[in-house]
Amino acid sequence: MTMATILEVRDVTMRFGGLVANERVSMSVHGGEIFAVIGPNGAGKTTLFNAITGIYEATEGQILFDGKEIRREWSRKTSFRAIGIGLATAVVAVLAYNATDLWQGAIVEKYVYAQPFPWGEAMATLVTTMRAAGFWSTWGIAVLGFILGRLGYGAIWHSQRRTPDLVSRAGIARTFQNIRLFAEMNLVENVLVGMDQHCTCGYWACLLRTPRFWREQAAMRIRAYEFLKFVELADAAGSLASSLPYGHQRRLEIARALATEPKLILLDEPAAGMNPAESADLMRLIRRIRDRGVTVVLIEHDMKVVMGISDRIVVLQHGKKIAEGTPEEIRTNPVCIAAYLGTEVVH
Amino acid sequence: MAISSKRITINLLLIAAVASIPIIEKFVPLGLHISDPMTDVFVYAILGLGLNILTGFTGLLNLGVAAFAAIGAYVFAISTCEIYPFQLGFWSALGLTMAAGALAGFALGAPTLRVRGDYLAIVTLGFGEIVKDVLVNMDSITKGTQGINPLPPPTLFGHELGGSGQYWLFMVFALVVAIGARSLERSRIGRGWISIREDELASRAMGIRPDHAKMLAFATCASLAALAGALTASRLSSSGEPGNYDFQISILALCIVIVGGIGSVRGVLLGALVMVGMNSIVLVKLTELMGGSDAAPPAALADAHGLQWAFLFVKTWAQNVLISPTNWKFLVFGLALVLMMIFRPEGILPARGAKEDAPDGDEGSSGASGVGGVPGGGASPVATKELRP
Repeated sequence: MTMATILEVRDVTMRFGGLVANERVSMSVHGGEIFAVIGPNGAGKTTLFNAITGIYEATEGQILFDGKEIRREWSRKTSFRAIGIGLATAVVAVLAYNATDLWQGAIVEKYVYAQPFPWGEAMATLVTTMRAAGFWSTWGIAVLGFILGRLGYGAIWHSQRRTPDLVSRAGIARTFQNIRLFAEMNLVENVLVGMDQHCTCGYWACLLRTPRFWREQAAMRIRAYEFLKFVELADAAGSLASSLPYGHQRRLEIARALATEPKLILLDEPAAGMNPAESADLMRLIRRIRDRGVTVVLIEHDMKVVMGISDRIVVLQHGKKIAEGTPEEIRTNPVCIAAYLGTEVVH
Repeated sequence: MAISSKRITINLLLIAAVASIPIIEKFVPLGLHISDPMTDVFVYAILGLGLNILTGFTGLLNLGVAAFAAIGAYVFAISTCEIYPFQLGFWSALGLTMAAGALAGFALGAPTLRVRGDYLAIVTLGFGEIVKDVLVNMDSITKGTQGINPLPPPTLFGHELGGSGQYWLFMVFALVVAIGARSLERSRIGRGWISIREDELASRAMGIRPDHAKMLAFATCASLAALAGALTASRLSSSGEPGNYDFQISILALCIVIVGGIGSVRGVLLGALVMVGMNSIVLVKLTELMGGSDAAPPAALADAHGLQWAFLFVKTWAQNVLISPTNWKFLVFGLALVLMMIFRPEGILPARGAKEDAPDGDEGSSGASGVGGVPGGGASPVATKELRP
């Protein structure tokens, strides 16, 4: 396997108060491989997934996808937006401070019933009223409002630099350990939500049902069917997600994740609760996902699945990486055996 | 297609039946007088449909929707009333009102994007009270508790509309809003909203931008509520006093959504009919029947002395405030709501139950909007065929 690294986790530490869920975990996933993260319960596997997908922000360390960190950049559009929000806040602040005075001067005193309204005069009064109110009660308030709006926007932007939706749009999809489907939606709709980021129709196109909307809708539905066929659920396309049996729900979650057209898919315990026949199906499915060109990272407890399909495995224990290697290496690694089965040595 | 054309027929028949009420009233002298309260039903339907987008689809509980209606009514009033210099026409004022409503929605939505559930309910509740108080206290602009009047009546192509004209205009408004809500629901926008309601984290992980979606929901809700407020103001020729847009209106709108079926457009229409209809038609008629102010014994009873006496007895009792059903309306509402929650918590026409005969859910049952099936010829016959069980 000499493929390019697609995901690189560099010294990631996740701390929740005093609890250290991951401590300096590093791993690199190569494009096109099936990579497993294993470890006893509470080893910090799901936390690592959450850090990768932007649900948590890593306390320390870096997560590189395709060689760079997934982060919102401060673009020209962001600047415009920040200034716009700042100006809007300024206007609202000024109005809130002396709207009644301005109104009284410019509208009430200038308007004589049923007479044409002197717009120019009114505007002039608006300016003079604002001047008369004094520097601080207009410009001061305006500047204060602007700073408040601008800083507020900046703060929100800063806290939103790495969010799950951004990570998903960058090309990392995931499934959840405790299945998180949209229960009240049917299968097609669930998959369509995954495809949403590739839709181009906006609010007005959807509201007015433009021809472009219909074209896109038809194409998207066909594509959604392909995803459902891929996970062999097309027969149940119209039923509610919550009505599916457990194993099928897992497959639907995979279809929904694939619908985002990721380069990398993170599967969190895909075989949990499956019988041997189902997990054999799942292994085939995971291989087919890899064959589509999607790199797979999975957390799994079912060793038959892990050993059967993984190209490489990382073992976590107590938030630390204790081993990394091919299934063969892991199987014979005494540290891993100790982690899973315990040792006679007291440590 | 068979299913959806049947649905379209039913919808058209229903619309025709509702549209014919003023005509029937005119030619059949039953003394029904229900077209006036029915116009209220349409306004509340618009309010309910707006709230349904925020609370039903997106799952954000809003207890201050009346504030948006108030903003709508006042923006409409200030931009049209002749005591102000703006004096816009009905339609341009309506456009302005909806835009102002959307802005108000943004203004409330932006700072509350991270707030959810009970907390959001409290924030919106507070917003409702604040707007009411601001309207009272900015009395040089809003005329305080007097309300702004007179306002121009609804017009169409330059003609002022009277009773039945307004009835039909408001009906069309409610219909257009319903179709619009339906169109949004059955598109990526609506799917985004519903996915946020179902599981916000999962929908984010699928690439939905919740901030964006929530802001759109807030703006749409507020804009529709403002439309409802403006229509009422125009109909009553007055913005009404700020106290008219109190918590009770918000709760009534919420009841409409819950009773009808949360997240269901048809449900909300029915909910408006049931709730407002019960309030201003059934209870009022019942009070009249039980001998409100001017009811005389029916002619059939005139001869039978015993019965007449019984009628008078009931009438005397009914004039007692305690016996008059309109005074019991909150008890009736409360009871109805409690019973609903026990026996049919998903509403009369739940979002999914209404679609049982067309399980594809996305297209086939779009009913009133008349867009059954996927257009574009053979674009996706596979899809529609396989969707049917």
